[in-house]
Amino acid sequence: MPIRRLLLLCSMFWLLMQSGAAHAELVVVVNARSGVAAMSRNEVVNVFFGRTRQFFNGVEAQPVDMVDSHPDRARFYSALVGKDLSEVNAYWSRQVFSGRQQPPVRAASQDDVMRLVLSQPGGIGFIELSKADARVRVVYELPK
Amino acid sequence: MVMRFARMLKGRGSGGTFGRWLAACCLLALSSLAVASDDAQAFTLQGFGTVGMARTTNDQLEFVRDLSQPGGIRKHWDGRNDSVFGLQGAWQIDPRLSAVVQATAKYRYDHTYNPEVAWAYLRYEPTPSATLRLGRLGTDFFMMADSRWVGYSYLTVRPPGDYFWYLPFYSINGGDAAYAWSLGESLVRVKAFYGLSNGQIPLADRQWDINGSPMTGASVEYQYAAWQIRASYANITFKNDLPIGDILQTYSPDPAASSRYLATRDRRSDYYSLGVVYDQGPLQVQLMLNRIEQGSNSFESSEGGYVLAGYRIGEVKPYLGYSWIRSAQRNTAGRQVIETRIMADAHVDQATRIVGVRWDLARNMALKAQWDAVRGEATSIFPYRNDPANGLWSGRMDVYTVTFDFVF
Repeated sequence: MPIRRLLLLCSMFWLLMQSGAAHAELVVVVNARSGVAAMSRNEVVNVFFGRTRQFFNGVEAQPVDMVDSHPDRARFYSALVGKDLSEVNAYWSRQVFSGRQQPPVRAASQDDVMRLVLSQPGGIGFIELSKADARVRVVYELPK
Repeated sequence: MVMRFARMLKGRGSGGTFGRWLAACCLLALSSLAVASDDAQAFTLQGFGTVGMARTTNDQLEFVRDLSQPGGIRKHWDGRNDSVFGLQGAWQIDPRLSAVVQATAKYRYDHTYNPEVAWAYLRYEPTPSATLRLGRLGTDFFMMADSRWVGYSYLTVRPPGDYFWYLPFYSINGGDAAYAWSLGESLVRVKAFYGLSNGQIPLADRQWDINGSPMTGASVEYQYAAWQIRASYANITFKNDLPIGDILQTYSPDPAASSRYLATRDRRSDYYSLGVVYDQGPLQVQLMLNRIEQGSNSFESSEGGYVLAGYRIGEVKPYLGYSWIRSAQRNTAGRQVIETRIMADAHVDQATRIVGVRWDLARNMALKAQWDAVRGEATSIFPYRNDPANGLWSGRMDVYTVTFDFVF
C-alpha cells in the first residue's frame, strides 16, 4: 500500500536525520599537555560535577562546560549521567548557594571549548570527535 | 520551643516591613553591580527565590517550616513561611582566594522580612583538594542543611519537616576546613567547622538569643558513581537560658530551683546524622537518619528520619516520601507542675506522608505542588507555633503547598 510505503520512507528519513547531523559523536578531550591518556566514566563525572579538582597525576583539572542554549550541553549530560539540564542546574544551584563551589566556565561554542581547554594545562571539555586535533587528547567517548 | 505560658502573657509581634527589605535588596543589588562593572571577569552575581503558598486543615495551631519562624500556617492560604529571596555576590580575588556574600530576605524570628547577611566569608584553596573558609558560614549539621532555602536545588517544596524543623541554626561566625581524597573512581571528603552561632529563636512574643553559642562539628562523605553516603556529628552549647524567668517567678513555688532544673545555659545538644543518596539517571532516592541528644531538661532527645524517592518523566518529577520523629519523655516524677508543663511543650511523636510533583517548566524555574499528611499523637506539639493548649489538637494535619522556585 502506498500510504504504508510513504510512512516507512518518512520514518527512515527521520532515523537518518537523527543519526546524522543531530548526533555526531561527542567525546571528552583534555589538553594534550595534561599527561592524561584515558578516563573512566566515573572519573569524567567527578571532574564535571566538581567532586574532584585533580586528575590522577595531580594536575589541576579545569573543566569547561557549555551554555544551556548550546544543544551539546543537554546531549553531554544525558549521555554521561542520564540527567536533564534542569537537574544539572539544580545540582549547581545547591553547590553555589551553599557556598561549596562555583560552577565551571561556560563556553558558547565548540571553538570556544577548544580555546578554553588549550588555555590551561588541565583543561578538559566535550566536543564533537571531528573537532579534535593533535593539541588535545580524546580521553573518553560518550555512549550514543 | 513552643511555650504556651509565654504566649498567654502577650499577643503576637508586629507584621513585616515590606518596603524596607525591598529597598535594602535593591541597594545591595546596585552596589554589587557597581563592583561588577569594575571587574566583570572576577565578579558574579547570582540569586535564588521561592514564592510559596500553603494551607493546612487545622486551625488549632500553626505549621512552620522550622523553629526559626515565630508564626505559621493555618487553614487559609499563606505565603509567609515558604517564600524567600536571596542574592549572592562572589569575587574571585585570585585563583586560590575568593569572597562570597549572600543576603536573604525571608519571614524571620521577629515577624519581619528584614534582609540578613546569611553568609560573608573568604575562601582559600591552598591546593586543589583543600578548602579553608573564614567568616560567616552556613552550617551543614545535616546533609543539605546549608541549602535549605534554595528550593530550586531540591525535589520537595521544603526540606522534610520532621527531619529539619528541629534545626533553626543556619550560620556561624567562624571557620571550616575541608579535604578531599580520590580513591580511584570514588571520593572521600572530610570537613570540620567551629564557630559561634548567629541567630535568634522566637518563643511566643520573645526571643531566645543563641548568638555567641559555640558550635562545632565534623562530617565524612563517601561518593562512588551514583552513591553518596555522609555521616556527621555536630554540637551546640547554648549561651543563654530560655527567656522564661518571669514565668517561673510567677508560677513556680521555688523559682531558683526550677530555673536551675530547666537551664539551657552551658548545656550541650549533640546532633548525629547519616545520609544516603542514590541518584542515577531519572531516579533519585534519599534516606536520612538523625539522633539528637539534648543536654537540657527543657528539651527531649529525639530520633528522626525520612525516605524520599522521585522519578523524572520528561519535565515532570513525581515523588513520594515518608518522614518521622519521636522524642523520649523525661522522668518528671516529683517535679513542679510548671516544670512538667514546660517540658511537655518539647514533646514530639509524629510521622508524615509526602506526595508531590516538581515540574521544570522553563530554564531555571520549577513549579511544585505537595501534600503532607501529618499523623501524630495529640502530645506532639513541639514542631508547631501558637498551640492554644485547649485540648483540641489531635496530632493530625494535612498541609497543601504550591511553590514557584527560580535561580538566576
